Amino acid sequence: MIFQQILLEIFHKFNGERTISAPYHLLKGKRSGQTIQDVGIYHLHKYFGVLPKLARQTYDKAISALVEEEILIVLQDGFYKLTNKATSHLQENKTLPFDGWHYRGNEHLFFARLSLVVQSLSHQSAKQMSFIPIQKDEQVQQWVRHFLKTNHYQDGHLQQKLLEEIVMSLENLNVEEEAKEMVMLRLSGYKTAGLTWQQISYKMKLSEMDIGLIYISTLHKWLNEILQKKDEYFLLNQLTEAVRVNIPLSGSASQTAELFKNGYSVEEISRIRRLKMSTIEDHIVELAMNEPEFNMEQFVAKADIQRVIEAVDETHTRKLKVLHQMLPYLTYFQIRLVLARGERFES
Amino acid sequence: MNLKELLHKHFGYNEFRPGQKEVVEQVLAGKDVMALLPTGMGKSLCYQLPGYIFNQPVLIISPLLSLMQDQVDQLKKMKEKRVVALNSFLDVSQKRMALQTLQNYRFIFISPEMLVQENVREKLNSIKLSLIVIDEAHCISQWGFDFRPDYLRIGEVVGKENRPPILALSATATEKVLGDIERYLNMKEPYTYIHSVDRPNIHLGRRIFQNREDKLDWMLEHVSKTEGPGIIYTQSRSKTEKISERLLQLGIRCASYHGGMETLDRQFIQQQFIEGSLDWIVATNAFGMGVHKQDVRQVIHESLPSNVANYMQEIGRAGRDGKDALALLLYSDADEDFAKFVGMDDLPTEGHVDRYMELHFQQLQPGMMVQNGEISETAFRVLAYWMHQLPAHEVKEKLSSMKTGKIKAVEEVMELVHAKSCMREKLVHYFGQTLNAKPSDCCQCCGLSIENIILPRQTTEKNVQEESFNWKDRIKNLLLQT
Repeated sequence: MIFQQILLEIFHKFNGERTISAPYHLLKGKRSGQTIQDVGIYHLHKYFGVLPKLARQTYDKAISALVEEEILIVLQDGFYKLTNKATSHLQENKTLPFDGWHYRGNEHLFFARLSLVVQSLSHQSAKQMSFIPIQKDEQVQQWVRHFLKTNHYQDGHLQQKLLEEIVMSLENLNVEEEAKEMVMLRLSGYKTAGLTWQQISYKMKLSEMDIGLIYISTLHKWLNEILQKKDEYFLLNQLTEAVRVNIPLSGSASQTAELFKNGYSVEEISRIRRLKMSTIEDHIVELAMNEPEFNMEQFVAKADIQRVIEAVDETHTRKLKVLHQMLPYLTYFQIRLVLARGERFES
Repeated sequence: MNLKELLHKHFGYNEFRPGQKEVVEQVLAGKDVMALLPTGMGKSLCYQLPGYIFNQPVLIISPLLSLMQDQVDQLKKMKEKRVVALNSFLDVSQKRMALQTLQNYRFIFISPEMLVQENVREKLNSIKLSLIVIDEAHCISQWGFDFRPDYLRIGEVVGKENRPPILALSATATEKVLGDIERYLNMKEPYTYIHSVDRPNIHLGRRIFQNREDKLDWMLEHVSKTEGPGIIYTQSRSKTEKISERLLQLGIRCASYHGGMETLDRQFIQQQFIEGSLDWIVATNAFGMGVHKQDVRQVIHESLPSNVANYMQEIGRAGRDGKDALALLLYSDADEDFAKFVGMDDLPTEGHVDRYMELHFQQLQPGMMVQNGEISETAFRVLAYWMHQLPAHEVKEKLSSMKTGKIKAVEEVMELVHAKSCMREKLVHYFGQTLNAKPSDCCQCCGLSIENIILPRQTTEKNVQEESFNWKDRIKNLLLQT
């Protein structure tokens, strides 16, 4: 069960410092300050929002299974502990190439465009230009119409070019052949319908949940390949328009970021925006996580940054309360900032 | 040009199907019309043809989003560009755009929820419509099997003086329902066309079993020995999956279909079924709307439908090509209890009424009952409507009479199960009509030999799931059609 493995990995990274529900919010991509900060603190970018439609029931079932198999123990206060059995499971874990933080469900937009483009070109090849579009979203339909026109589909060469790009880019992906097949099976065209999740599941002898997870991670990996080599994939690159989230800040945080970049201090921003200081600090933490150029030393001295990192190493915890007790002269805000940026110091 | 020439010009047909010409003529003469045409008899043509003759837009009120989408798709496929669907799928800017240019469309489809919105109403009042069509008009009556509270408000919106003529369409309505439609819509001496609900080429079989296991075994055996294409109706999502897995193991090309599947999956199944790469669909009653397949040979009811009208509509998906087809009703002991239970699920309970009041007094949104999973969406729609209309205790009375109604509806289906005389006659009587002639192999009671109707299964083609090809071949075949 890939789903269980993913849960296990997330629980492992949370290090028992969050409740049993935290992975659920992470996978659903909850837009709360807590979840977003946890992404930075515990380095969980890849799993953020990969299952936006995950039902709580499905999640709870998977947790119960972990408990039954004695991999996980749920504690009374809603926290949890991993057992020794979990450690051996973690070692044999093959991780899927998710990039949830940068796509956040937009991979489906890419696929919707692709599937309508393929359906249209397939019908054109069969000289059958009247068909019922597989994608019902008007905006996707308009986008595809425009794409076909600007790329001169009437000339009849688009099929061959797109085929070459798809084959080349997928050949470059270091994923199982089965994963590539899965994505291709979700496409349809003239007299060829796609396969449902149930059908793919039956064919590949994997659960529907696992197939969904492999499918999404393959799309993420494929998108990263396309975006890294824009010049080589002229057509596919167009299909990725507005799919990758480059400054993934929440609406309010981006307003704070704007003011901050214009030189206003945290106190000033709090006054201007009539928001609590702590809220503005949340926004700054979010900004620090997302902007590689963010200069932390304007808030925390270099030596203090080093002290926080040492404290984390020593105590094996990222719990704010513990760290604050060790470094009482630093504010919670300062510690959170360092933790949010933690990964930049690790290597 | 006369009507026949216009029919050929716009649709490429040479002949009208029964009822179409009569209905179109009355619509063109400006009369209100009520038309009862069985599924698959070309109901939509009754407003589509007038749409090409009138110079003003036709408004079509349609209760089901999937149905609306299907009709829009069909029109667009015929290269009609001036068609728009106003429903909850539109975002704010799409809706604004559509409303601004509304008068330029030939066909305007709208859901009842949209129709009662203030800005939509205003816009509709400001433009001149040529015709108002109410599709699936039986939804307006609480005696109809698919009662939609929103539909009751259509009368408020369209019932004005100087309104354009109304065309009410339905496939299945009893006399009582017809009366309700006329009253709620304030129709003026409507011309009524009622086509016989009987479909002589559909032969009515029935099998009765002691227990569910026997029933399932018999069905699996039957399906593996006789020819499709066919549809198996069953009542729950999980059952569609279980049965289809059993059939797959027997090497039968089949798939399950239910409302919980995502849109793309549902389209894949429909497409596979129509193309012939699937022989059987195991479905809940979510399947059928907008599936234009002519050669369905069998419809099997593995579980009891919740009412006769549903049954009629579902078996009506067989034999649209006019050739012999088989409808099989399977029953095992106590199936009716489950059918009643399923019917109740769509109704709010007394407890829901109390809870609604409680939230109301706390100044909380009663809608949170749906989010909390305390009540189904359909049930809440009914509850909210009546809570706006009546005081709580009267709502409870209302609900209890609706409950009785649902139980009675299942019992009416049970009459088919117990019938000793002609099942076809019973069905037709239910809709207040009389049967003129019986076909040979009419029904289980009159005498029916399945082998006269359905051929034995012969082909052992591969399942789509079992076809193997690598991903490169698949994308190449799709794009280049080689």
